Amino acid sequence: MGILKGPLSGRRYRIVGEVPDNFTDDYIHALNTNQHREPQSPAHKGESMGWCQVHNLLDVDFTDINRWLYNQYALIALRVDKKAVPARLLRAHLEKKMEAWCKENNRPKVPAAVKEELKEALEFDMLQKTLPRVQTWEVCWNMQDGWAFFTNDGELPNERFQKLFLRTFGLRAVPWSPLDELTGTEGLAETLVSAGATDLRGGGR
Amino acid sequence: MSDDGATELLPPHVSADFYLWLWYTSEARGGRFTLEDGTLVEVYLDDRLALRDTGEERPTTLLTGDSPGTTPEARAAVLGGKVPKELRLLVRREDREYHVTLRGERVGLAGAKLATQVKSGEVLEVLMDRMFVYEELHWLVSCLLRQFAVERVSESWRADAVPAMRAWLSTLDAEASGG
Repeated sequence: MGILKGPLSGRRYRIVGEVPDNFTDDYIHALNTNQHREPQSPAHKGESMGWCQVHNLLDVDFTDINRWLYNQYALIALRVDKKAVPARLLRAHLEKKMEAWCKENNRPKVPAAVKEELKEALEFDMLQKTLPRVQTWEVCWNMQDGWAFFTNDGELPNERFQKLFLRTFGLRAVPWSPLDELTGTEGLAETLVSAGATDLRGGGR
Repeated sequence: MSDDGATELLPPHVSADFYLWLWYTSEARGGRFTLEDGTLVEVYLDDRLALRDTGEERPTTLLTGDSPGTTPEARAAVLGGKVPKELRLLVRREDREYHVTLRGERVGLAGAKLATQVKSGEVLEVLMDRMFVYEELHWLVSCLLRQFAVERVSESWRADAVPAMRAWLSTLDAEASGG
């Protein structure tokens, strides 16, 4: 499901601000600066976020505008990788390590500091063997008419999109409001908002 | 319109009224709407209708399948005080047909099947075609929203629309009980 095929779902934005006349070099630089980057260490824990091409999430170089600029549309994707060790598996391995430590050291209980060391070492090992969960969502930005569509409806991905968009292009992506469509008639939006609910159960307004 | 980054959504009761109006009007007018520019468009409730209790966020009644809006369950839910939270529509303009779910206070589009002409080929061609029809769908929904808003704030809403909707629900009730 996305911009280029399948059913379309997501949120629409107004892009506030002007796109410069000769934007291509600046935007190539901005996209490359904010491209998705793999963490340097395979034991990196947590998230990494950045832009990638819609054609392949491994393509993160935007120097060739023919890969992301189609007439008035910029077509890019937000990639978010998350790497975490399964908590239950970590706990199970840790218990085994602690049992072994107690046996080796002939102690009834593992001291807290040792337990923390064992846990860190275990987590480090497991992270190196763990693949990240990779998610991408497409963005289609009509640079001529000042709107964009982001193919996800969740709060967190949309917050991330807005943040990265602002950081990359210096333009704010403001969520489209249905009320934006009513601004042509003076007072219509305000009157509509202040109207009470229609109650069909009886004696309704 | 705000430029400060704030999201101005429709208050829950207004989005619910909009969905109810779409549902009712599509049946009362045989699916035919005349938009502000004179364009004729057909709008029908498709195969999904979700309703929620007033004050609740999550839908508590979900009806799927053919013509969910004509079922006794749908009628009972509205007469019992529930309001539409999302509905799937079939929208037809000229020879272009869309299926789309309108959802929540954002009047968000979900699962939009676009009336595209270009199914495969160069990215530019596919994108231009899809964005053209997406823009049309967005425009159609916006027109319907404006039409609703004008009717909702008019005097005739209380005098005519509400009694007509009650009568419509009663008709469904009679049909459902074989009367």
